[in-house]
Amino acid sequence: MRLLLVEDNARLANLIRDGLDRQGFAIDWYETVEGAVHAVQIGGFDLILLDLGLPDGDGLELVRSLRAGNNPTPILIMTARGGLDDRVAGLDAGADDYVVKPLEIPELAARCRALLRRPGATLSTILQAGNVSLEPAERMVSVKAQKIEISPREVDLLELLMRRAGHVVAKPAIENALYSMDAEVTPNALEASISRLRKRLVAASADIEIKTVHGVGYALFIPVSANA
Amino acid sequence: MPFSFRCLQMRDAGKDKIVSNKRTPSLFRQIAVRLAIVTLIFALLDVGLVVFTYSRQPQSLAQELLSLEADKAASQTIGNNPGLEGPPGADRWFASYVDPTLSNPNGATTIHPSPNGGTMIDWTKREKLQNGFRISGLREVNVDGEQRWLYMQFEGSGLKSYVPVIANELIQHVALPLIPLSLMMLLFNIFAVRRVLDPLRKAEEEVDGLDPENMSVRINEPAAPREVTTLVRAVNRALERLDDAMTILRSFTANAAHELRTPLSIMQLSIDQLPKSEQREALLEDNRQMTRLVNQMLDLAQADAKAFETDAVVDLAKVGRQAVSQLAPKAFQAGRDLVFEDCGGAIINGHEEAIYRIYRNLIDNALAHASGNSPIEIAAGPGPRFHVRDHGPGVSEQDAANLFERFWRKDRSSGTGAGLGLGIVRKLAEAHGGTVTIENPRSGGARFVVVFPDPANLRRSK
Repeated sequence: MRLLLVEDNARLANLIRDGLDRQGFAIDWYETVEGAVHAVQIGGFDLILLDLGLPDGDGLELVRSLRAGNNPTPILIMTARGGLDDRVAGLDAGADDYVVKPLEIPELAARCRALLRRPGATLSTILQAGNVSLEPAERMVSVKAQKIEISPREVDLLELLMRRAGHVVAKPAIENALYSMDAEVTPNALEASISRLRKRLVAASADIEIKTVHGVGYALFIPVSANA
Repeated sequence: MPFSFRCLQMRDAGKDKIVSNKRTPSLFRQIAVRLAIVTLIFALLDVGLVVFTYSRQPQSLAQELLSLEADKAASQTIGNNPGLEGPPGADRWFASYVDPTLSNPNGATTIHPSPNGGTMIDWTKREKLQNGFRISGLREVNVDGEQRWLYMQFEGSGLKSYVPVIANELIQHVALPLIPLSLMMLLFNIFAVRRVLDPLRKAEEEVDGLDPENMSVRINEPAAPREVTTLVRAVNRALERLDDAMTILRSFTANAAHELRTPLSIMQLSIDQLPKSEQREALLEDNRQMTRLVNQMLDLAQADAKAFETDAVVDLAKVGRQAVSQLAPKAFQAGRDLVFEDCGGAIINGHEEAIYRIYRNLIDNALAHASGNSPIEIAAGPGPRFHVRDHGPGVSEQDAANLFERFWRKDRSSGTGAGLGLGIVRKLAEAHGGTVTIENPRSGGARFVVVFPDPANLRRSK
């Protein structure tokens, strides 16, 4: 995965490059709009990480010109501008995501992966959360390297939550992903699946937890003790 | 298991307290009152003049006195009796009809004969007596279409007997012409003053319509009067200065954001690279707090400048779900649950990001103060409102007054916040024309209720 980093602060750029490098990304760094335009012309980038206040212009102009030229490369704006209207302005210009500084590398890496539409792909094909791992291709789940018995629907559910580990996944989004349109979904079908999955995880002494956010959805939560 | 906690009952929102400002006298009233006073003074002067003039002319007073009595006789005569009581203060009074065929009326020895001998005409004679005067004279009186001659004689002293005469004169020559004239003047003045003040009223409307959002607007200068034109010019000059100041403030906000966040980023990432230790964790926490403080100060600056539009259609339930989703991981870390309920109809006109920040700050506040393992309850609706409720110690009335003050914290030595969150909440709610109130539910904890005005745009578009 090659990322184009456009950032005028050299120290910050180096820190980001080091951080993302360890997460498995390859970074090319440019300091100016002009340099970035030049780099994009050469091509070959999967994602652009863009600061907005650059010495020779506004990063938003670069976003607009790329989109006007039908360049589809995903753009993640990382900026110091956190005003009420800035986020919308950035997305309206054609950026795909918007992070306000200061950044934390794991968060930045997660957002990059989400934009590359290959969650987890840059690191490995195995999803890992706490002591639970899931191999999407094999539809296999193991806790502490021990394979556990689990139904295909529960694997789907767990995969969905693991891909967004630490984030709340809205109930309608889960239902849409898990149940086909024509199938009759009873209101409690999802609750029942979640409940069964929880029991299996507890039985296998997994250290991850499926949390309910009433009225919103579910989230896979990795307690700090398990994370360390 | 579906859950439910009680959605708040709708209360009448928008009961704004209108601060009754003491009525200051209007310019119009001042002018009208002064005009009325001047008119009154003139009327009094006029009266004085009339009284003074007449008192210098006893002969005309005497004439008028008899004429007035004769006028009364015209309506009071019964048979041969003229029915007159005479002017007030008479020492002696005599009145009788005279037969015009007699050259010398009856009793001519005691009364004056006509100075003209035989011909009957109106005449008046005034004589000085030892202590007083005597007035005698003849008047032609028309009694029921019959011409008769009335002879009158009066003896008296002082001015008392002239009072009816002077009063009559005043009515005839002062009141009758002056009152309609004054009324007309007053009406004209009301009209004229209103017209003159019109440009002021227009300017007032325009000033009321000024919007911090759009500081380029200026007040139209009226062609006249000059006083209003100069005032409007002065206001426009003040607006110019304000406009400049706002521009500087806004660019400062943006610049400060950039200048502070970049070093914070560098610090964050540098600390991240340190080997794991207690100090590293402490530094990371410090940096997080610093970041939060910078974010809040910038939010507050922006809310103060009201540098955002609040006319988009915002679904409070949707934004509430987003905020709950974003903050749920933080709540889990703190061992706490968030519960959201959509009570329906929570649509307002507003700014989505601003509403999101109200939610976020309120939920942050609840997370900081909740105790036990009860969840934090967030509910949107019913209607244009939402609330965030925790099960902490609640808010005392004394603290409630300070809670929204900037940098206020109940206990300065503990806690991590700077005391800006609730200040931002109030400022952002006010920018939407809304209010934030704190309630202490009977079952414990504190409930922060944000109420917005009904969405005007939606209703209009229906």
